[in-house]
Amino acid sequence: MTEVTIERDVLSDNDRAAAANRARFRAAGTYVLNLMSGPGAGKTTLLERTAERLRDRVRLGVIVGDIQTCRDADRIGRHGVRVHQVNTGGGCHLDARMVAAALGAMDPADFDVLIVENVGNLVCPAEFDLGEHDKAMILSVTEGADKPAKYPLMFHESRLMLLGKVDLLPHVDFDPEAAVADARALNPGLQVIRLSSRTGEGLDAWTDWLVGRWQAARQGE
Amino acid sequence: MHEVAIAQQMIEAVVETAGRHGGGHVRVARMLLGRLTCVDPESLTFAFEVACRGTCAQGCRLEIQRVPLVLRCRECGDEGQREQPVDPCPRCGARGGDVLQGREIRLTTLDVDDLLPAEGVA
Repeated sequence: MTEVTIERDVLSDNDRAAAANRARFRAAGTYVLNLMSGPGAGKTTLLERTAERLRDRVRLGVIVGDIQTCRDADRIGRHGVRVHQVNTGGGCHLDARMVAAALGAMDPADFDVLIVENVGNLVCPAEFDLGEHDKAMILSVTEGADKPAKYPLMFHESRLMLLGKVDLLPHVDFDPEAAVADARALNPGLQVIRLSSRTGEGLDAWTDWLVGRWQAARQGE
Repeated sequence: MHEVAIAQQMIEAVVETAGRHGGGHVRVARMLLGRLTCVDPESLTFAFEVACRGTCAQGCRLEIQRVPLVLRCRECGDEGQREQPVDPCPRCGARGGDVLQGREIRLTTLDVDDLLPAEGVA
């Protein structure tokens, strides 16, 4: 019996694929956002509202990850932006190779902003670099304010947290200050926007943030 | 749930490494697994056992060494182990901190059977 040294980060293959994606996005001048949340937090509805608001201002594309079905892609596609569906076939997250494969149908050069809607899951997607510029997440107020402490990694990795469904705050026991304080204990630089896709609250702040990040990326930040 | 994807990445690395060291049967694989990762050790052990079937690591034992979460306080710089990433600094009470350890998902060593001389490459 021989002890053999291996010393390898298990996700190094994914990290290499992510680096290749990142180089491709930079060469094309495309800003890429990885949008994550638990299931039912409102990613697809937010992207429908986003498509309506941004389709005349930026060339917006969406890559949608789902375990099964094309429902989300169909919904977003009705709003006049190009959408590509990736079915993970049971996988609970997107990885960099799946995104690389999707770029065959969604050439980054055709888009100013490409949003990757990750599989609805508050856990796994945070572990996988896709080559994006930024990660953003939605925490909806119906999920409970304890989520940052219970599922820290996604809050740790995100640049922006959208506090979703705030129109429901009067009806739920959710303490927004406590949730934001916990999330910022994990990630002091985390930006927060209160959002309701239903009433429209926060949608301008969100689209301004997105356009601002695209312009910053274009200027080589 | 992504333990299956991680186990598949692991078995690829294990088979490749064993192949470079004579191709003997792999008996033990050792890894570091940080407390801040979203990987459940029991699920990973099961997924790895399944991923090993039909490979040179079939029946291989997975030894997981948990790496504690170590934070550096952003206020006073105190470094130490914490149970949760939002826990207060024991010295100054500030919550959270920069993660120094706890993100590891890393294969470290394998125990590989030596091939009998007759089976070895001349």
